[in-house]
Amino acid sequence: MSRSSLRKIVEASLSRRLLPDGGFVGRLGGTFQVDSTAWGMLAFRACGGSDEILERLRALLAREQSGDGRVCVNRDHPASYWPTPLAILAWQNSPASQVAQNRAVRFLLETTGSHFPRNPDAPWAHDTILKGWPWIGETHSWVEPTATCVMALRATGYGQHDRVREAIRMILDRQLPHGGWNYGNTLIFGRELHPMPENTGAALTGLAGVVDQEKVARSISYLQGEVDRLRTPISLGWGLLGLAAWDLWPSNGTALVERCLANQTRYGDYDTSALCLLFLGALAGEPNTKTALFLHSSRNQAPAVLTQ
Amino acid sequence: MSDHMDPTSTGGLTRRDLLLAGAAGLLIGSGLLLVPRRYFRMPQQAQSFVTKVAHYQLDIADAITRGIRELGISPEELKGKRILLKPNLVETASGASHINTHPLVLRGAIEAFLRLGASTVMVAEGPGHRRDTLAVYEESGLADVLTEDRIRFHDLNYITGYELPNAGRQSSMRTLTFPAIFQEVDWIVSVAKMKTHHWTGATLSMKNLFGVMPGIYYGWPKNVLHKSGVENSILDINATLKPHFAIVDGIVGMQGDGPIMGDPKQVGVLVMGRSLAAVDATCCRIMGIDPYKISYLERADNWLGPIGEGSIEQRGEAIAAVRTNFNLIDTIPAQQGIRLT
Repeated sequence: MSRSSLRKIVEASLSRRLLPDGGFVGRLGGTFQVDSTAWGMLAFRACGGSDEILERLRALLAREQSGDGRVCVNRDHPASYWPTPLAILAWQNSPASQVAQNRAVRFLLETTGSHFPRNPDAPWAHDTILKGWPWIGETHSWVEPTATCVMALRATGYGQHDRVREAIRMILDRQLPHGGWNYGNTLIFGRELHPMPENTGAALTGLAGVVDQEKVARSISYLQGEVDRLRTPISLGWGLLGLAAWDLWPSNGTALVERCLANQTRYGDYDTSALCLLFLGALAGEPNTKTALFLHSSRNQAPAVLTQ
Repeated sequence: MSDHMDPTSTGGLTRRDLLLAGAAGLLIGSGLLLVPRRYFRMPQQAQSFVTKVAHYQLDIADAITRGIRELGISPEELKGKRILLKPNLVETASGASHINTHPLVLRGAIEAFLRLGASTVMVAEGPGHRRDTLAVYEESGLADVLTEDRIRFHDLNYITGYELPNAGRQSSMRTLTFPAIFQEVDWIVSVAKMKTHHWTGATLSMKNLFGVMPGIYYGWPKNVLHKSGVENSILDINATLKPHFAIVDGIVGMQGDGPIMGDPKQVGVLVMGRSLAAVDATCCRIMGIDPYKISYLERADNWLGPIGEGSIEQRGEAIAAVRTNFNLIDTIPAQQGIRLT
């Protein structure tokens, strides 16, 4: 699959999922979904989509934002604010979206997961005080939402903020002793839990450029060892993004993406968020990728805020 | 947790509750209010069916069909019904197929329900640990089976939800959000795995229903439920959803540090029934665990179903004929002192 054919596939897939009134559906034939719209915008921008459409989408996403800046799965579930960092990335480089983006950034900086003092007798091993971000309000901080918040805040110039520094420490603290990350527990009752490629990819993407490679070398090795067997879009998408962020996008990455796309005959059409994540992972293999998720790799030297 | 409701509260008042409240008033001062609440409940009755299935290559569809019939469920009751099977898919690891409900148990259940007249059978799950549901679906081997059988699989983690008032009212959650697809089915069947658990002692058909709660509203892990109290949440979900049937895969279970890191345990049984509490109590006895020592089962007793041995009519194999004690870990509080004597 050539670069141009990949871009055509991305464009065709996204156009089938774009609603006439704007926004992306969660699944083909389904209804508008906030996270799908944010992921769709990131993929659309990464493949050079038109600014006019992007601006319409940004405005629509801003209408979904609550007064305090959060962007939720839906307004009836105000605790489900995990799409907020995705919205921040989707609004990147849009003067018209600056107010919405600033409000969302402020919300993240003022919001944290639920944390409690570390207890040496507790069955879990991680440092429960270190703050990141949760999936859902009033719950503990976990790896993937923290990684996406770090990406969003770094992209908007808050890379040195105390909350981001602490979140980076939190992600490192949740790294499994033998490498890789899972959703965010390391050891329970003294047993090391299993790593998962999607969480490992997200964590590596968030940490690229701010921690020394030796600190995550085992996790990179784990992901490199896994990537050939990844067949599904969330794992492969985050896996490719995580490796690309460290300039290690695999030489057979295109073939892996093709195989994953072909698997839709087996699984049915992928949902939009997962598909867009896969597209971003695929596009990350190209030089000078314009994706807001890459911040400081040599592939993309300048912060994303300047790249488009 | 401090702002949560009294965990012993069961919510809405029935005539029976009022009578019991009156009786309780008479008992104030006598110290009898310290007696567990289950002793004040009207006794319930249920049936559970146990059948030996030594390994997964045997005719599981026949075993399940026989069980459904033995439990008095007629083809008329199932005719034209839309059945949703909810397996236990958590995560996968090399050499650890005993983490998840075996795909051939699901194939057997699908065939049994279709044979008995169901119009459609689908399989749906929302894993709690992995956001990539399709990866668990694939790596567990379920994708091979369902693709071959042309059965649809639904990822519950991403399905838009509908809210119901929390009928259990054990936690502070006022409503529960279930996947909209549940409004399109007639029967919800928990197809669980027989496992010990490091937070709850045992995970069986009732705990399995954590997986129906969409990750988009409850997170990965479903930490909203943990914050609300794992046991409270198990009771709330079951009381609100009112699942119709349970099948527990005890052909190979998991002992020790379940639900993920434990060791395989060959038991060679399937356990099923309409009452999830009764099925789980039967499973506990097979595992050598006292169901009254499993807090959520003790609290469910004679509310969501009976767990007393005398209240469960045992069909098929006798428990004593298949009991095999699961290893318990002394250092895990939820597994301390739960051995059935």
